Amino acid sequence: MEVSINKTEVKTLVSVIGRIDTTTAEKFNEAIAPLMAPDAGAVEIDCSQLDYTSSQGLRIFLMLQKAVTANKGSLVLTNMQAPVKEVFDITGFSSIIKII
Amino acid sequence: MYRKFDPVSGKNAEIIEAVMNSEEVLSISPSLQFKVRLCVEEVEENILSYSGTTWVSIQAEENNDYLTICFKDGGTPFDPLAKDDPDVTTSLNDREIGGLGIFICKQMMDSIEYRHEGGSNILTMKLKTA
Repeated sequence: MEVSINKTEVKTLVSVIGRIDTTTAEKFNEAIAPLMAPDAGAVEIDCSQLDYTSSQGLRIFLMLQKAVTANKGSLVLTNMQAPVKEVFDITGFSSIIKII
Repeated sequence: MYRKFDPVSGKNAEIIEAVMNSEEVLSISPSLQFKVRLCVEEVEENILSYSGTTWVSIQAEENNDYLTICFKDGGTPFDPLAKDDPDVTTSLNDREIGGLGIFICKQMMDSIEYRHEGGSNILTMKLKTA
């Protein structure tokens, strides 16, 4: 699992590659911690190469959404693969996190 | 495929890979493999986090177009399926962090059953493969 973060003038572009699971969840959590900061602003996470997430990953996305909302920023997940989207759908996460 | 992990502490990833690399799981489609990986991870995380067991055994079998995965552990008797499902329709602020793992398995698998037998917790999941 790899995370890259590129901050531009208008938004923070993030790319997640690989699997968020029992082994990598902590690393993912640490990698995206800066996005939970008050000055994070608009965050866009490209999920095209996110192959898998378990509930451990969902928990982190939920914490991120809560932080972003509290900080009056924005969060959008893009290009999600169908099996990963299904996990967000059945848990109702698709209705609390913006996915395009 | 049958494997017993004793001691099981710290073997989370090893258990998942043992199942994913089994003949039974390698022979099913990638989209079904995704479901198996997810449900095996959720169940074993649940067992290793809460049951206090020192060992876990896992068996995978495929017959009559169903993949059956059976977990056994020697921990505290506990039926993870008895818990109420989390409310997945609440607003962001009311969402609780956690409690989703077993719910995901219930949704993804065609059946999931628990029993306590011979001093072991036994959880059996079935997935239609054809």
